[in-house]
Parts: sequence; C-alpha cells; structure tokens
Amino acid sequence: MTTPWRKVIRDFWKERMRTALVVLAIALGISGFASVMAAYAILTRALDEGYLATNPASATLRTDRIDDDLISAILANPEVSDAEPRRVVNGRIRSGPVEWRNLMIFVVKDFGNIRVSKLNPEAGAWPPALGEILIERDAFRVARARIGDTVTVKIAQGKEQTLRVSGGVHDVGQAQARMENMVYGYITLATLAQLGEEAYLDQLNILVAQNRFDEGHIRTVATDIQKLVEGRGHPVRRLDIPRPGKHPHTDITGVMLLSMSTFGLFVLVLSGIVVVNLITALMASQVRQIGVMKAIGGTRWQIARIYFGQALLLGVAAIIVSLPLGLLGSRILCRYLAAFLNFDINSFAVPVWVYLLVALVGLVTPLLAAAYPVWKGSGISVREALADFGTSRNTFGTSVLDRALAGVGGSVRPLVFALRNSFRQRTRLALTLLTMAAGGLFFISALNVRASMISTLDRLFAGKKYDLSVALGNMYPSEKLARVINNTPGIVRGEGWFTTDGTLPDPTAAATPGNAGSSGLHSGGVAGGGQGSGGSRGTRVNVIALPPETNLLKLEIVEGRDLLPGESDTIVINSALAKKLPQLKVGDPLTLQMGPAETTWRVVGISRESFSPSTAYIPLAFIAERHPGMANNLRLVLNKTDAASINAVKTSLERNLELEDVRALGSLSQADSRFSFDQHMLMIYVFLIVMSGIIGGVGGLGLMTTMSLNVMERRREMGLLRAIGASPGFVWTIVVAEGVLVGLLSWALAALVAWPVSKLVGNFLTRVVFQTGLEFAFETRGLFIWLAVSVLVSAAASFIPAWRASRFTVREALAYE
Amino acid sequence: MISLQSVTKEYETPAGMFSALRDINVEVRKGEFVAVVGKSGSGKSTLLNMVGGIDRPSSGTVAVAGTEIHSLSESQLALWRGRTVGFVFQFFQLLPTLTGAENVMLPMDFCRTFPARERRQRALELLERVGVAQQADKLPSSLSGGEQQRVAIARALANNPPVVLADEPTGNLDSVTAGAVIDLFRQMAKSGTTVVIASHERDIARVSDRTVEVVDGTIVGIATDPYAAPEAEDCA
Repeated sequence: MTTPWRKVIRDFWKERMRTALVVLAIALGISGFASVMAAYAILTRALDEGYLATNPASATLRTDRIDDDLISAILANPEVSDAEPRRVVNGRIRSGPVEWRNLMIFVVKDFGNIRVSKLNPEAGAWPPALGEILIERDAFRVARARIGDTVTVKIAQGKEQTLRVSGGVHDVGQAQARMENMVYGYITLATLAQLGEEAYLDQLNILVAQNRFDEGHIRTVATDIQKLVEGRGHPVRRLDIPRPGKHPHTDITGVMLLSMSTFGLFVLVLSGIVVVNLITALMASQVRQIGVMKAIGGTRWQIARIYFGQALLLGVAAIIVSLPLGLLGSRILCRYLAAFLNFDINSFAVPVWVYLLVALVGLVTPLLAAAYPVWKGSGISVREALADFGTSRNTFGTSVLDRALAGVGGSVRPLVFALRNSFRQRTRLALTLLTMAAGGLFFISALNVRASMISTLDRLFAGKKYDLSVALGNMYPSEKLARVINNTPGIVRGEGWFTTDGTLPDPTAAATPGNAGSSGLHSGGVAGGGQGSGGSRGTRVNVIALPPETNLLKLEIVEGRDLLPGESDTIVINSALAKKLPQLKVGDPLTLQMGPAETTWRVVGISRESFSPSTAYIPLAFIAERHPGMANNLRLVLNKTDAASINAVKTSLERNLELEDVRALGSLSQADSRFSFDQHMLMIYVFLIVMSGIIGGVGGLGLMTTMSLNVMERRREMGLLRAIGASPGFVWTIVVAEGVLVGLLSWALAALVAWPVSKLVGNFLTRVVFQTGLEFAFETRGLFIWLAVSVLVSAAASFIPAWRASRFTVREALAYE
Repeated sequence: MISLQSVTKEYETPAGMFSALRDINVEVRKGEFVAVVGKSGSGKSTLLNMVGGIDRPSSGTVAVAGTEIHSLSESQLALWRGRTVGFVFQFFQLLPTLTGAENVMLPMDFCRTFPARERRQRALELLERVGVAQQADKLPSSLSGGEQQRVAIARALANNPPVVLADEPTGNLDSVTAGAVIDLFRQMAKSGTTVVIASHERDIARVSDRTVEVVDGTIVGIATDPYAAPEAEDCA
C-alpha cells in the first residue's frame, strides 16, 4: 500500500464516528435504491416467467357454441399451434349463511389436458369431479370457504345449487381475487349442466405457432381465425389480444417500482449532500497539510486523489453495509407485491446487473459529491495553504447577513450565540437544511396526498346518493322491481337504471391497452368484466341510462350541462372519456356502438369523475323507446349503512328478488367499493411515509455530521468560552440550540414549499396507480407534527456533538489546531 | 545553484500595494550554507518562497539548479519542487496520520524517485542519519519537537534534492536541540547540498557560510564567514 493510501485510511479512522455517520447516510440511500432495483429485476422476471409457464393464450375469441369440427378447422391453419375451448360464466357464491359473493366460473373441457392458459393445482382434488368446484387460491378468502366445504352457487337461469369445494388452484393470469372482490371457480362441463346451464363452450383460446411475441403477427392470425369462425356461421362477439408474453400487471408493477427507484435515487442525492459537507470540512481542516504535501512535491492531482480515495472508501463501506440491507428490503418488497399480484416467486436470485448498477451508483455518488470540494481544495497555492491559520477562513462579520444577525440581541445569551453560529458556514447550513427539509416535505406531502385522496374520493362518492347497487342478470319490468323495493325492509327508496357496454368505433378510438384489465376495481365488480385486455374494437365505455331528474346521482358538470327531462339523444361524458377524445367539444356528435347498432349522440356536457373508467350517461328515455318500462340495474338508498344492516338488506332483497323471479348478478355497497379504493390509497400513503422516514433519517445523520463538524472547527472557541468561565452546560446548550435552530429553519423551508410539491407528488403517484388526478387538500396537522419531529430529531442529532463539545478541557481546546 | 535577478514581489492588500521584495539580486553556489536573516515581516520568508517555487515573483527571474522556475506550470513546479528542493518548516508540518518513516516516504511516492520497494529502506537510512531511527514507526503526536524536526529534515532529504530550504527551523526548539538541528544542516552543506535557512536569530550567522540580511524587502548586507566559505567551495 502506498503512503497516500495509508493517509486515506488513517484520516478516516481518526474521525471514525463522523465517517460512520456519513457511511450510514449513504448506505440508507443505496439500500433503498438496491431494494427497489433488485425487486424490479426479481418481480418482472418471476411475473413473466410464471405467466409464460402457463402457456397464455395469444388471443381469445368469444363466439357461440364451439364444436370439435370448428376446432379441427382452426387447427388446420399452420399458423395456429393450439386452440382450446373454454367458457366463462358469471354467477354468485355463498358459503354457509354469509352473504353472496360475485363468482366467475371457468368451465374447462378436459382438466387432464389443459394446454393453453394452464392452471396449477395446489391442493386437494384435481380434476374436480361432477358436483365439485376448484377455487383459485387467493379467492378462498373472498369466498370464506375451505376445501371440503359445501358452497351454494347460483348462475344464469339456474336455481341455487350446492357444490363441494374439492381443491385449490393457482391461476397466474388472474388479478388478485381479494383486490377484485371476486371468487374464481373452476368446474367441468358436466357440472355446468348440473347447475342448469346448457353445456357448451363459447370461448376460444388460441396459441399462434410462430412469433408468439409479435403482436402484429398475432393480430393477423387472429383476424384470419375470426373470418374462418364467422364464415362457418359463428358470430364473433369479441376478440381480445393481450400483450404477448406479458402478465397483465407487469407494466403497472414496473412503473410502480421504477417510480420508487426515482425516490431511491433522490435519497442517494441527499446522502451525497452529506458527503459534500464532510469532504468540504475535511479539506478545510487539512489546508496546511495540503500545502505541505505540495511543498514536498505532490501535484494537485496526486493530492486530489488522496481525498477522492476517501470518498471512494465511503462508497465502498456504504455498499458493504447496504447490500445485505438492500437484498432484505427487496425480498420484503417482492413478497408484498407477489401477494398483491397473486403469484409465486421461485427464485430471489438477483441478476448480476443489479449488483453492478448498485456498486456503480454507490461508488459514483460520493465521488461526484466530493468532486467539487476536492478539486477546489486541492487547487490552493502552497503559499496560501501554509499561511492558513485555521479552519474557518471566512471571518464572521463581513457580510450583510452577519451584521444583521449581530443586530439580533436578546437576554438569552446562548440563543443569540447559537443563532449567529448557525449562519457561519453558509453552504454547509444550506445543504443541511436541504436534506432535512426534504424529509419534512415528504412527510407533509404524504399527509397532504392522503387528505387529497380522501377529499377526491369524498367528492366522487358524494355525487352517488345511493348505498347499494344491484346488477341484474337481465332486464325486468319496473313494476316488478318496485314491488321488490317496497317489500324489502331497510330500503328508503330506489331507482331502476339501465347499464350496458358501448365501444367507440375504431377510427376515433384512442388505444388504451390494460384499461379493461383493471376494470374489476373501476366498475366496482358489478358487471363482472372480462379477463382479457386490449380489445381490438376500440375503447370500451360504460353506458349508464339515467331516469329523468334522478335523485340518486348528482353529476359534477364541469362543461356544458346535465341531461334534461324529455331528451333522448343527448349524452354526458365523464372526464376519463373526455380525456380519450381530446378533440371532442360540448355540442359535437359522438357515435357509440352498443350491441350490434351504432348510435350517434349529441354531447351536452362533461362531468368530473376521478378514479373512474370511461363512462357515458344517456337518458333512460332512449332505452324506454326500445324496451318500455324495463331496467337491468337497481340503485338503492338504505336507512342504515353499517355493514350488518347492509348485509341484512342484501339477504332479504335476495329473497324478494327470487320471489319475483328476478335474477341478480351481484351487488355492491358504496362502502365496499370505497374500501377497495382505500386499500390502494393506503399503499401510496405507506410508501410516502416510509420514504419520509428514510429521508428524515438521512437528514438527521446530515445534521449530526454538520454539528460534529461545527463543534470540531470551533473547538478553540469552546475552550475560550470555558476559559472565561462558561460551564459545560452552557457550551452544551449553545450547541443543542444551534442544532434545534437548524431543525426549525428546515421545518420553515419545508412548510413553505409543501403546498406545490405535495400537489405535484400526489398527482404523479395517483396518475401512476389510478391514471387520474387529485382534488388537492392541505393537511395542516402535518405541519405541526413535522415541527415536533424536526425539533426532536435536531435535538437528538446535536446531543452527542454537544456532549463532546462540553467535555473539551480548556487546555485541549486551546492547543487544538 | 540559485540565482535571483532583479526579483520584486508585490501583494495587493486592502490598504494598497505592499512590496514584500524589492530588486533582489542573490547568487548561491552549490554546497553553500546561506542564512537569510531579518526581523519578522522583513521579507525573508517571501525570499525563500521565491527560491522554492512556492511563490512567483512580480518581476525578475529565479533560476534554481539550472531551471528558470518562474516559467514552470503548477504541476511541473510541484514535481520540480519534489525533486529539487527539500523544505523544513518552523512548525515541522508532519502529516499527523502518517508515521515518521511514512512522512519521509511521501515525497518519494509523489515524485517516484526511488523504486517502491526501496523507499522504506531509504527512509530508515535518512532517519538513522538524523538520529531518530528509533522513532520511524511512531506517529508525530508521540514525538518531541526536536524529534519531529529531525523527521522533517529527513523528509526534506528524501529525494536527495540539491537544495534544502528551511524557514525558522529552530524557532520552536530549545537551544540544545536547536544547536543539534543546525549541525545537521551544516553536515548537509558539507556533503554538497545547498542550504538556505531563514531565521530572525542572528546567531545563525556564526555557523553559515554567508549571511544575507533583509530589511523591508531589500538586501541591506551580505556578510561572508571567512572560515566557513573555503570549506563550502571545497565541497562544490
């Protein structure tokens, strides 16, 4: 080892406490970054591998009855390697005396030979026998059932039937059942027949033979198959082509993790600031040594290398500390997200590129941070360096601010002293304030984002004046529905609505892949929703026909006007749909395809609706012209909205609907739908709070470093104070007061910029997770909480430096150079 | 060995221009032991800085060991300094986190004057020469002032420079130790190294070959020791 390297190591060892603080600060940043990057690598790999292992369908066609001839004809196409029929039936499930849950049943032709979109048997029986149902592993919690239980199931025309839960499967391609509040079940054709349904399959999962990841190729092949199917007299209701080889949640997971890594990098930058302070102080305290080294032949670069070496050591030490922490963090994050997305991680192996990236970032950050102070410090001339007589070369009292501070008097001498002291090293103060304020900013933002999300949701739900919505299996006469409402205790009033699906014709449609994939949440799970994503026929739109002067929905019109009684060709679109049609203005015509027909409407208004999918509101009169007095949806106001009362209403409503021979598809209370939003919101909130904790930690370490540097540099002054009669307590007080003052200043800084920044952060995060903006609200409580945290953290951070300062003996302090 | 021609040095100060050196002309031969004497602030340190390439003249030329040093860039100057000039300071200026031997090895590391393997051996020899070989592996903080200054002298000799400059080398030492240190410089000069010492103590004149007296940046007199000078010439 050369002598300069020995100097590097010993200089650090000499100040090991401070070095440890800085290493810890950098390590915090690197750990955060490493966790997120490793989680990103592990998750995207596991997600795609796990998904590919199921041999996911390249395309899904929905038609009518599929027979073996049709399949043989499709398989004759050399571009198709496999085609397998299935069926998806929506229904409801009940375990024991509890309420009904929405159920999506997948009917499989031959459990022994599933080749496309495979299922992984996890527990119990495989395949299910006649009268048995397998349940998706995550859906057991929704169904509140266990293997061996008997559940009651009701689908379409059928009556209530009982099935035995004989096993559990893992269906990798499905969204998490708990998040969707949906039970996924798997049965045979024979069981379907037993449930009273006609036993046929209508959904065709196709696997292309070549270029399995080429979406264009898949589209060509699928269109050919569609023509073939239609040519043989089977109408194609829908064609879905998911993104090839990608789990439906890969993108959202990636975006989430990458935005987290942006915050990780931010923390890293802040820890870099701590390094700037450390190295600047180090260079200042070693000016004379630099002069001597230059005098005995050291060039600027040779001397700079010594200090860069110290920065490099900081990086290496931080990497050693942070790698295990980062890997641990990535596992926690992976486990959490894997549970959230319902898939398994077989290997937590982190690819080499992550290690390399983390090492690179860990080494480069302190080097970059040190670059300016080192280069500047090593550039001093020998004469100046040798003439230097101490560490603080800039004399207090020369600037306007100094003189202004000198004018701030007061009887509490330690405070006056602390106030003036804190402004002596301006750059250091500014950098320290920056790190600490950033922590406060994140914390205040976290609370603001939470408050904003709550206010946005409050506003959204305030417009919906009903407590329970019930989707019906078909359309029914209003009198029948009115009877049900009147006969069910607990219902104050209700309205019969008509909801349906529409699509924008292709040319005007803005392609939005993935929109349908998250429909379960946004549509509240009432209509069930399809499993595919990225439909080929333009954007899907929820169409809701409202009775004239409805009392149960108050649209928040931001442009134009609401629907008026007596109209039948007008339409109000919500903000999500308006966003997809940026050219469209109030007064323009809008064509929607509903069923086989295309209808052109006149847009009269745009309503604001956060967190909602594309929705259009039309007058019920339009439906009434075609189906007089019919409705397929109930919106009910209840007299009590606690969970038990809602369940009681649901149960008796169920009975009354049955009595009237009305089949319900599913029901959703506003509380349940709000719960689902709150779950997603909690994720953002927790993330921000964790981030502010980490940043606050870095800020605290930064302040501790700053205070210990200040104390070191003012050692002589502390000695002087003691020499003229100051007690150790007085010295202790001025140091702690200075630290607390810095904490207060950082709080003020954070409070000042909290408003715009939290608005920005909130909008960014909700856009990532929900694709929607926020109704901004400011949580003043956050300011006060952070004030308390700032004072406590800064007092704690200056405690040890203050204690050390108070213990300097007069002789030691005055001898210090 | 050292030639200063019409050297002036002016500094800008808040109170206006300050002339630290005025029209200095000095020649020093190889192996000569020259004392620069004068009161504090007279300009002797500035004169030494000119010779060592620590400061540049406002006008005039400085040539040391055949190099016109005012024409060198900062990094060329650093390398030149490391190989040509050995410095000894009043406050010893050892690097506190390096041991005695390491302090001596540092100039060799910077200038790569000796093979890396030989550097420690050479450092130990130099420490032996100045009488502190026992202290080779101790940190400066555990050495006495005299020991520190001896290590500093060994460090000045590390690259075997033709010129050694010492600024008040005995200013921080007791008289006995100071005498011993001066003896070391005397021996150095005897063995052919040009030694220039700045001091405010007139006693130094007794042991030097020549004494240059500086008052307010001007040389007011040069006295030659009639007994010492011929010896110096012998060495040259």
